Amino acid sequence: MRFADHSIMNTKKSGKRPSPASQKTGRGPTARPRSGKRAENKERTRKEILQAALELFSKKGFDRTTAKQISDRAGIAEGTLYNYFKTKEDVALYFFEQELKALFDWYREHDSLHGKPLSEKFFAIVYQHLEQMNPYQDFIGAVYLRAFQPASKLSPLRVETQERNLRYLRFIKEVIEDSEEEGLIRRLGEVAAYAFGLFHFAIITYWLQDSSRGKERTLALLDRSLKIGDSLLKIATSVLERTNWKW
Amino acid sequence: MVKQDKDVEASAEELEVIARGLIEMVVGDKDNTAVRRGLRMGKLGFGLAGSYLGYHIQNLFLGESQRAERRKLFNALAALQVREELQSLKGPIMKLGQMLSMQSQVLPEEVVHELANLQMRAPAMHSTLTRAQFKGGYGKFPEEVFEQFTAEPFAAASLGQVHRAITRTGEQVAVKIQYPAIRSAIENDFKLLRSVSLPAWLTRFAPEAVIAELEAGILKETDYINEGKNIDFFREQLRPLAYVKIPKVFWDLTSDRVLTMSFVLGQPLSDFISKGNPSAQMRNEIGSRLLALFAYQLRHVHSLHADPHPGNYLIDGSGGIGLVDFGCVKKFSPEFIELGRVFRQPDWYTSKERSYQMARLTWGPKVANRPRVARRLLDGVKDLYDTVFGARAPVDFGDPNLLRKMVHLWTESIRSKGVNPEFAFYGRAEMGLYNVLHQLRAKIDTASVLATLDPTHKEM
Repeated sequence: MRFADHSIMNTKKSGKRPSPASQKTGRGPTARPRSGKRAENKERTRKEILQAALELFSKKGFDRTTAKQISDRAGIAEGTLYNYFKTKEDVALYFFEQELKALFDWYREHDSLHGKPLSEKFFAIVYQHLEQMNPYQDFIGAVYLRAFQPASKLSPLRVETQERNLRYLRFIKEVIEDSEEEGLIRRLGEVAAYAFGLFHFAIITYWLQDSSRGKERTLALLDRSLKIGDSLLKIATSVLERTNWKW
Repeated sequence: MVKQDKDVEASAEELEVIARGLIEMVVGDKDNTAVRRGLRMGKLGFGLAGSYLGYHIQNLFLGESQRAERRKLFNALAALQVREELQSLKGPIMKLGQMLSMQSQVLPEEVVHELANLQMRAPAMHSTLTRAQFKGGYGKFPEEVFEQFTAEPFAAASLGQVHRAITRTGEQVAVKIQYPAIRSAIENDFKLLRSVSLPAWLTRFAPEAVIAELEAGILKETDYINEGKNIDFFREQLRPLAYVKIPKVFWDLTSDRVLTMSFVLGQPLSDFISKGNPSAQMRNEIGSRLLALFAYQLRHVHSLHADPHPGNYLIDGSGGIGLVDFGCVKKFSPEFIELGRVFRQPDWYTSKERSYQMARLTWGPKVANRPRVARRLLDGVKDLYDTVFGARAPVDFGDPNLLRKMVHLWTESIRSKGVNPEFAFYGRAEMGLYNVLHQLRAKIDTASVLATLDPTHKEM
């Protein structure tokens, strides 16, 4: 059940991981490649706008925040704002982009996870993601609802979001391949990355409405499901070994 | 078995089919009655994401390591080794199982004895989850509040696990961290337990009063603030017993999910017996102290550290006894204290009035009003306590007959129904104590141990 080698998910692997920089893809109105100080400044402004917007979203809510308010808070002209983000949804997209990038960077910097069981790595990744998003729950909740409208830029069916999904899948695939190389698991193939992606999404949905203290129900669900997943994987492996199935 | 709740029934049936298929694939055994029995128990919680028991049952069926081990487990089940079975289920309901089994006629006395020795265990947490749950329960990550925190636990607790740490002020502490959302999992288990109609052999021995008492007890254990208060209480109350060491709670590092206390040095009693190779004199000394500790709590503290598992006693080099795990503490009702008072009267057995009072307090009015049953039970009590406390020479707790007598008495009393629920806890504690003394093979001059506690009374 392996994808062919020219599969779009296959970015690696000649032994080395792609550097985080090679994964950075400009998007939206600034997709053209830029270099040097100018690009750096632009990126800084973009982050400042995001910060201002997030503060407003958490104060007034996503829907009630206007472009004028965002530009005022960020200290730029309203016209300039549109050079960076066409709509509020673009701001949201940029937010998710940054979150994901921070997550990838975090994983790559965390050597302590090396050699740990895959289920623990997955746990750590989802937990880190949730921790990062923790201050922005209300905003994420509001955006989540919008993502279900097909016309929304946030819809999972849009090409823009597909790009992000692919980056995410490549990342998960990399995590899985690490475990394969560490000899912890059999080859799982790309289906596993998709499956984990769905699971990750489901956990975030659960987490958003989890009112237990310290989100402990989410922690329990995450731990249990991963352990069950781990057990199922082992059973499947042992069954397939007995029946000499190739995959 | 499952009759009332259609949804539960449907999902359990479906899952049973799946599980059966999996087991047949893996174990290759199509007609295993033990497996079927396991599934029957499994219906209580199988597939319910929020169920603690369900979680363990899933583990039981899905297996965690090699096929050979799974096979071993199922063989153990087939051999009707109840202890193995319940160890695999582990959950809080295990405590219920434990109690029900103590009360049920289907189990031989040896098994009942085994069950008294079981301990509840929460699922293990890896270091990432530990750190996350510490934050969830306390508000900060461990590295933010401790000078040093050991990611690997050094002990398992009934609802979580215990880690070593060093505080910012340089003190060695033990940090007990609860598994996430265990309280709601336990609540779900009990909800489910009430929603299904259990097999008759179970319900006959589990009246609602007993289940409610049990639920309240287990839920109380999930609150570490309460446990911290218990520790403070016992630390104060047991001060007169110089050899008893009780940890100090660090309240500023404690919440209802995280309990930080001073580290108590010592070897768990089980290790002390098996690895420490203690001299006979040492064993007798420890045994005497344990008995004195138990009797002292009954008489003067009117509360009992009700989980006398050998793992909860830590023995240090000089024979000091560290007491840990105060989640399960029984504070006696005035009625129960009265019972102890009656029992310490010299004429509790001979006086008609006192023995009636005794029977009523212990087994309830139903039994007390059946003089022959009551007399038989009272005879059992007298026989046991004459053996244990009436002897002039030191009592040999290593003698299996003594333990058998004890187990027999408890099985008998509980079979007579109408049991005072308070007795469920007390009974378990007393049986646990005798079991520990038995493992110690202690020879104890019981009369003089009791005399040191309270010079005016010679009998307990």
